[in-house]
Amino acid sequence: MMPLEPVAPTALGALPAAASDAGLVVLSAVSWPEVTTDNEVPPLAGFIESTFSPLLAEVAARALRRRPDPKPPGTVTAIVMVTALGDVTSAIRVAAAVDAGKRPSPLLFFQSVPNAVAGYLAARWDLTGPVVCVSGISAGLDIAALLIDDADADEALVIRIDLGVASDGLDHSAAILVTRPDRNDP
Amino acid sequence: MTGTAVLSAYGPGTEALLSGVLSGRPAFAPVQRFDVSARRVGVAAATAGSPQLHAEVARVVGEACDDAGLSAADRARTPLFLAIHGDPAAPRAAAGGRTALTPEAFAGTVAHTCGLTEQDLRCYMSACVAASTAIGDAAAAIARGLASRVIVAGGYLVEPDQFALFDAGRVLASDGQVRPFSTGRRGLLLGDGVGAVVIESSEAAAARRALPLARIAGWGRSGDAFHPCQPRPDGHGLARAITAALQRAGAVAADLGYINAHGSGTAASDPAETNALRLALGDAAATVPVSSTKSLHGQVLEASGVLELIVTLLALRKGMLPVNAGYLGADDGCRLRLVLDEPLATDAELAMSLNCAFGGANTAIVVGLP
Repeated sequence: MMPLEPVAPTALGALPAAASDAGLVVLSAVSWPEVTTDNEVPPLAGFIESTFSPLLAEVAARALRRRPDPKPPGTVTAIVMVTALGDVTSAIRVAAAVDAGKRPSPLLFFQSVPNAVAGYLAARWDLTGPVVCVSGISAGLDIAALLIDDADADEALVIRIDLGVASDGLDHSAAILVTRPDRNDP
Repeated sequence: MTGTAVLSAYGPGTEALLSGVLSGRPAFAPVQRFDVSARRVGVAAATAGSPQLHAEVARVVGEACDDAGLSAADRARTPLFLAIHGDPAAPRAAAGGRTALTPEAFAGTVAHTCGLTEQDLRCYMSACVAASTAIGDAAAAIARGLASRVIVAGGYLVEPDQFALFDAGRVLASDGQVRPFSTGRRGLLLGDGVGAVVIESSEAAAARRALPLARIAGWGRSGDAFHPCQPRPDGHGLARAITAALQRAGAVAADLGYINAHGSGTAASDPAETNALRLALGDAAATVPVSSTKSLHGQVLEASGVLELIVTLLALRKGMLPVNAGYLGADDGCRLRLVLDEPLATDAELAMSLNCAFGGANTAIVVGLP
């Protein structure tokens, strides 16, 4: 089997460095696209018409699979999502349905807030920490550090996602699993 | 907390909100603001006219600064944490202009309008725990010396897109009333809510001789790890947030004189919250007065945490607890000491505000009289 060829890192590749600057220990880090085969986001059952939730779930899963050691029992993991515009694809679909006098799909109701895919991730990976969605990466990293220092979490999964429809036409995402230097043994 | 300001379905101002919730009369009425003829349900708790979110958030944030007595110099050093779903204009903007319509840009213009620093501003988009998470984060940052003062605001005004989504999701109450913890409850109804609170360290308040309205005594956040949009039925996730908030407050369950419940009025959420209260509070869950004021002012989404915290502190300061409206009778899965029929006089000094959201996100904020 041919090794997967990495793609050039994007600006999202700076996430681990920013986390280190914020005083966080990076346990694992991934980005999308990461390899040349990252050209189609795997579908996620129950989420439709937008790549926001499937992509977020994919990068989160990669980050969680690549943690260096098994998660110690009882570890509380927060989910911190960082996005400039959120699921703008779904928002555009809803607005179009409303403007056409139609009823939007009930599935769009469930995915209209980023919390829904966080709930999927939390259930799939037993992440029992707080769920937060904010707009800026420095805010997201500060919140991750604060939640750990505040003992509401032992570690945090920080996921940044920006859909192409909001910018250059390409979906970008990155995820890091972080903790604080003094919380190696939660 | 040294300053508050609000817009609710009862009109502008904290006096209108307090008198509205203490009247016990829900603010729900047929929606006039936009066409609801294609919707299953056409009722919400909306204030008069068609207020614009940016103008109302800026006005309310400014009023909270005035209420706190913040000088121009104080404001210029104070960051804004804003809880919103997004810029309402973004979904209909031309593709090229959409990138300028981020929540952060929205918050930046509010901060600029109000003379606040545009450094360190944040937007929280975590659905119905957005504002309460921001309040917890602000309090935690101040307690740790990372900030001396933060303004937390939240805003949602009933509009056609979210209304259509909630209608499509069949979660709106088809009988036009929200009946939390009651038999026969049929769901939630949306409402207008814009609120802002000034949170600062006691030292910062004392330095400018500001009198505190209330204190944020404790906070807790947790996740259910259960489902994208259903709460964990056994209440364990929310119970952890409640326990953490009480521990931070140095309080026990019996110290609580009131709980402003999440109380969405949906079939699954109310019994899950009841279980959480029983788990976290033990015997006190049967005695502490509880009401969900969503039965009066509606579900104000991202702004819920700040509007309901303001209701809670207004109730404590007035010594009157608002009713849990719409009640038809007991539900065995929701047995709590609900405030029913008329407001309950109280000398309580400590209360808790609970919020839950999709994704199993939970928050608990403990607020006390100064």
